[in-house]
Amino acid sequence: MTATKGIEFGRLTLRDGLDLAISIEEEARDRYRDFAEQLTLHRTVEAANFFSRMARIEEIHRSRLAERRQALFPGEVSREIRAQVFDVEAPEFDAVRVFMSVEQALKTALAAEEKAYDFFARAIPQLENAEVRALFTELRDEEVEHQALVKQEMARLSGDPSANAEAYGDDPVAQ
Amino acid sequence: MDLEAKPAPNRTPLQPKDYKSDLKPIWCPGCGDFGVLQALYRALSAIGREPHEIAFISGIGCSSRIPGYTTAYGFNSVHGRALPIAQGVKLARPELLVVVAGGDGDGFSIGGGHVAHAIRRNIDLTYLVMDNQVYGLTKGQLSPTAPKGLHTVTSPFGSLEEPINPLLYVLAYGAGFVAQATPADMPGMAALIEEALRYPGFSFVNIQSPCVTFGEEEQQLRAHKAKMKPLASLGHDAANQLAALDLARAYGKELYTGVFYRNPAPPPTYDALVQARQAELIKTRRPRERALDAYLQK
Repeated sequence: MTATKGIEFGRLTLRDGLDLAISIEEEARDRYRDFAEQLTLHRTVEAANFFSRMARIEEIHRSRLAERRQALFPGEVSREIRAQVFDVEAPEFDAVRVFMSVEQALKTALAAEEKAYDFFARAIPQLENAEVRALFTELRDEEVEHQALVKQEMARLSGDPSANAEAYGDDPVAQ
Repeated sequence: MDLEAKPAPNRTPLQPKDYKSDLKPIWCPGCGDFGVLQALYRALSAIGREPHEIAFISGIGCSSRIPGYTTAYGFNSVHGRALPIAQGVKLARPELLVVVAGGDGDGFSIGGGHVAHAIRRNIDLTYLVMDNQVYGLTKGQLSPTAPKGLHTVTSPFGSLEEPINPLLYVLAYGAGFVAQATPADMPGMAALIEEALRYPGFSFVNIQSPCVTFGEEEQQLRAHKAKMKPLASLGHDAANQLAALDLARAYGKELYTGVFYRNPAPPPTYDALVQARQAELIKTRRPRERALDAYLQK
């Protein structure tokens, strides 16, 4: 899988699986934080606020998983997996633009949630440990819930002209 | 120089975040350079050198802002002069890991004359060029790697010039390590940067880093993902310099990623030769109070 480097899914233990899941949430949190910072600097406040919210949500997911890991494996050192994870649930680096609308930001988040679903769905058949399979199945299903929440927000804003790209500034032009 | 990570006893290994400064990048949202920076943090963490053992030198341009975004020493210098300054830093402080960062304009236009000399001297530097085929910081003018026919504000009817091929350029001057990467494959890019940093001698990584504001559609990450071809999957032997030259000719047409060339028997670096010469000459050095004797007739 291109989103992970050198991880052998067949050999993952439950502890490894939790470490991997924590890294995935952490990466998504950090990416959303980066996006919020980038857009704040470039006066794209509405989308920045949305990405800040996404960062907070990803942090909640991360901390829940971390607590679970701590309860199951107290005192055991985490496997350093973060460097092996790339864009699993985090939106792609170039998914933001200056003056992007909230509508575009929501589409970015939805694409990221769909990507995460695909990741877990593709990983599950490769897993040999039943506990990890149960964990990944649970995480895959959560991605469906997250997608539904983003879609709900999209529907809520669909009638709001201020969320539409047309309400925002034009892209920069060469001079 | 041994670049292997050697954490001190009881010291936690350095993490990518340890190389990240408090300064927030002001690149356009979505810029490819964000990916390069992340890959760089990861590569530095894999090598494990302390930030104070690293120096980033750059010229002028969007990507030349990189020194400010790391916790290492940094010098955001003048346009096109990153390489001469980096060479001076390395000779004065050979124990530092010296990394040069800049764009294709800074490296192959304004500073183009310096590249050949840094290569022929084989000073132990890593040169990361963020090649976006446009002058982004000054709002979209034709750059030295811009493809022929490109319409920009300085070529409104289409460029009549053939672009510089950075890969062929550095290979032809004898660079010992030449690679190409894209932020579309961040783990691959981090591994390539790490390998370049470990190479004992002049190493060069051409990074196709899209300009999201003034770049062409076919130069964006989405297009990179579709067209990139890892050299490893083509069975390319990175020790074969002629094969590397042949593949490098496809710059601008194909997007090959990976190591084009790695000298299997790296020659001594200039900095090592300078140190050896200094050690030799110091034996016959006059005492300071006799220094003027060299200019006086007996």
